[in-house]
Amino acid sequence: MGLRRLTAEHAARTSVVLVGLGLPLVLTGAWWSARSSESTVTLRARVARDGGWLPAVVRAEVGVPLRLRLISDDVVHGFAIGRSAAPPIDLPPGQVVETTLEFSEPGTYTYYCTRWCGPDHWRMRGVIEVAGGDPGAATVEPPLYQTLGIDIDAPHSSDVVPQARPSARRGLALGVTLPAGNRTRQAFISKPPAETWAALRRSESTVGLSDAQVWDLVASLWRSTTTSEALKQGGELFAANCAACHGLDGTGRGVFAGRPADEESLAQAESPADFTDPARMLGASTALLQGKILRGGMGTGMPYWGPIFTEAQTWALADYLWTFQFEE
Amino acid sequence: MSSLDLTRLAFVRRLLVARGPQLAVQLALLAGLLIVILAGLLGTPVGSRNPATVLVWIAWWAALMLAFVPWLGRSWCSVCPLPLPGEWLQRGALLAPRGRGLGLGLRWPRRLRGMGLQNAAFLLVALFSLPVLTQPRLTAALLLGLGLLAIATSLVFERRAFCRYLCPVGGFIGLYAQAAPVALRVRDPRLCATHAPKTCYVGSAHGYGCPWQAYPPSLTTNVSCGLCLECLRTCPYDNIGVFLRPPGEDLRRAWRSLGEALKSLILLGSALVYAVVLLGPWNGIRSAAVHVGSAEWFAFAVAFLAVVLGVVPGLFLLAVRVASGPRAESGDALRRLAPSLVPLGLAAWAAFSVSFVLANISYIGPVASDPLSLGWNLFGTAGVAWSPLGGGWTFWLPPALLAGGLAWSSHRIRRAADGLQGGLRLAAPMLTLALTVSVGMLWVFVG
Amino acid sequence: MPSLPASLRRTIGPFALAGALILPAAVPDGQAAAPRVLRMEARDFAFFPSSFAVDVGDHVTIELTSSDTVHGLHLEGYDVSLTADPGRPARVSFRADRPGVYRMRCSIPCGPLHPFMAARLRVGPPRPFAFGLALLALAVIAGGFALYRRPPAGSSP
Repeated sequence: MGLRRLTAEHAARTSVVLVGLGLPLVLTGAWWSARSSESTVTLRARVARDGGWLPAVVRAEVGVPLRLRLISDDVVHGFAIGRSAAPPIDLPPGQVVETTLEFSEPGTYTYYCTRWCGPDHWRMRGVIEVAGGDPGAATVEPPLYQTLGIDIDAPHSSDVVPQARPSARRGLALGVTLPAGNRTRQAFISKPPAETWAALRRSESTVGLSDAQVWDLVASLWRSTTTSEALKQGGELFAANCAACHGLDGTGRGVFAGRPADEESLAQAESPADFTDPARMLGASTALLQGKILRGGMGTGMPYWGPIFTEAQTWALADYLWTFQFEE
Repeated sequence: MSSLDLTRLAFVRRLLVARGPQLAVQLALLAGLLIVILAGLLGTPVGSRNPATVLVWIAWWAALMLAFVPWLGRSWCSVCPLPLPGEWLQRGALLAPRGRGLGLGLRWPRRLRGMGLQNAAFLLVALFSLPVLTQPRLTAALLLGLGLLAIATSLVFERRAFCRYLCPVGGFIGLYAQAAPVALRVRDPRLCATHAPKTCYVGSAHGYGCPWQAYPPSLTTNVSCGLCLECLRTCPYDNIGVFLRPPGEDLRRAWRSLGEALKSLILLGSALVYAVVLLGPWNGIRSAAVHVGSAEWFAFAVAFLAVVLGVVPGLFLLAVRVASGPRAESGDALRRLAPSLVPLGLAAWAAFSVSFVLANISYIGPVASDPLSLGWNLFGTAGVAWSPLGGGWTFWLPPALLAGGLAWSSHRIRRAADGLQGGLRLAAPMLTLALTVSVGMLWVFVG
Repeated sequence: MPSLPASLRRTIGPFALAGALILPAAVPDGQAAAPRVLRMEARDFAFFPSSFAVDVGDHVTIELTSSDTVHGLHLEGYDVSLTADPGRPARVSFRADRPGVYRMRCSIPCGPLHPFMAARLRVGPPRPFAFGLALLALAVIAGGFALYRRPPAGSSP
């Protein structure tokens, strides 16, 4: 009897030790080894005011696969590499998502959050420093606004504004043949529409047309120098990245308009631009708009999208902005 | 009024007296507690994906509110993992007694007995409950703190002093266990009267003296019995049984202490406050309750304490006073009428719990498969999407539960009034109070 | 039994009374089905506004605008869901052919208080609070009167 009780008690104690000590050790050990793994980088996503991406700098090497374990610690975030064709990865809160990246060229790659997670969502950016490989002689061309010498911070209001919304279809229907030099994309994007209108107004080919019809011609010039795909892409980019501040209707009254990102950051001195304001918009060239998208506005809360969008994407966005002024 | 002695069935008695099955359940729950604490400390801060918040406040709370307490009384306490490490150290054994264990074995100070400390512990947790309920780290910290406190208490004081006097949930469980059909009672009290050694309280080679400091022959309600079943093992005459009776038998008796009455009113008021804060449409109150330390939170804390310690007990006293009239002894009326509000309180807590539990029970799958948020998929359920249970009919569950509780309480109020020779005149103010509280809760749920 | 009619009256009477209380709440309004747009803003773990009522048969469109982070909406009973990112309002349409009261909960974890983010849609009658009041009145009558028998003198309660 005594021996049986002794054995039962010892069996019980062994179970307790297994559960009470073994279980925590196993779990903590698993957690620790996942944390300090050499081959996998754990990237935590938090809203910017709580730290943003942790870590904010990741090191990688050309040709060596970089395994990332992504996890959001608060709300829905997204992960994407700037200027990359790879689709973004959604990060539902608390769920681990794994991905593997591979870089063929060295450099600094920006990763950023792709789902609006708060007023300071656009500040959620980090960099991957990729070393090794052949640096190459990649020349970076200056943006068009710099080549043209446009001061993108200067005010750009226009005195001349159309009475009604110009329509590209109406302009095309006029059947006016414009000089070849005026019809190129380079010509259109380098000048503000108001200047284009003034030049067309002075031109012989528009004698007999009303002011409104010349505006329609300007609209048709815009439409003929861009493509449907670009406008569609621009619209998608606008809805995903700009509408939260500028509003889907472009009036500058988006959900985050006028809300400072946090107490420490600069309060937005101005509200986001109203793309439906003809006086403000028609005095700005597409190149200027593209420049602002690239560089952001100092002290206005406008993010800089240079590391995020490819050049084609920035032009698609700039082209799309004209849909707030012109009808297709 | 018949009750069924379950332990007359031999296999039931064998199952309950054997220590193995009980220990197995305790070990499983202890494992759960450890997983929950670790996950809370090391895992994701997102409440819906962390076992600490999901397994404790959804799974365990639902099981407690809807299964353990209303049907099996204090049965949770017999397997609760929190006091176990301390108790094992105190006893020096996991199974049958083997001599002395560790600890000083001091008696619990007389002044600290009664409901006061437990009520205070409950209110303290309640004031901080919103951040604790929603953040895994805080849930883990609370459980770890309670666990360490339980161990320390067991090493200083005798028996289950933590469970009896300190546990924040203990008061809640003990109160509403009185509505349950299951009860542990002595079979023949006359036998106990002639039995001098009182083995059930003192202990023997077969088992320990009641850890709950209860004297089994004097158990008339489920309040103080933690169903640890030690007395089943120690009684030399097999004079203790586990009975199945109609629900609410315990509520026929007047309560001995006013502290018990106060506790029941605190808990009823708390159900109302929790419903208002968590389920009501007033966003500002919820925000105030979660930002602990802010000025709004202090206002919330003051309002909360005023309602549960002042308004609800005050209205109850008023109802008793109105009913008793200028007659002297309203204390007796108080003690008799207070138990009748227990079914309503239980229904209020069940109603509060059921809607958000049904909505969020699907979180258990992902949380079990990936407890530390490392990308595991232990049971294949890591990717299960959130799917709230029930269709539109679940909207009516809280009002239906409230109505059920109100009906039961109304019945008990009439009976208690009869016991005081008061009839409808005595019952009417109390019925009005019960109806008013129910209407208030109803408004929060569906208004 | 001479006491039977009285006890029968005592039992059935209150239930009939309660039935009379509930019945008016259940009578349909009888209006033609109309297109309805429910505009909701999701912000700070709450929906603004948080309570809507439509008639049975209405063609309902829910438009959800998120103002701080990604929120979702799930309408129980109809099992309709939508997700709205800030800046991109989301819309979903359905026909409200089943009467009742349905909870709408946030379906995308949006922070600590996410489990308590809810709104309510009432499709046709009954008006929930009135119905609930009737239910409670029925409860008091049933528990405190109909199912209660005055005990014979001298027995324990």
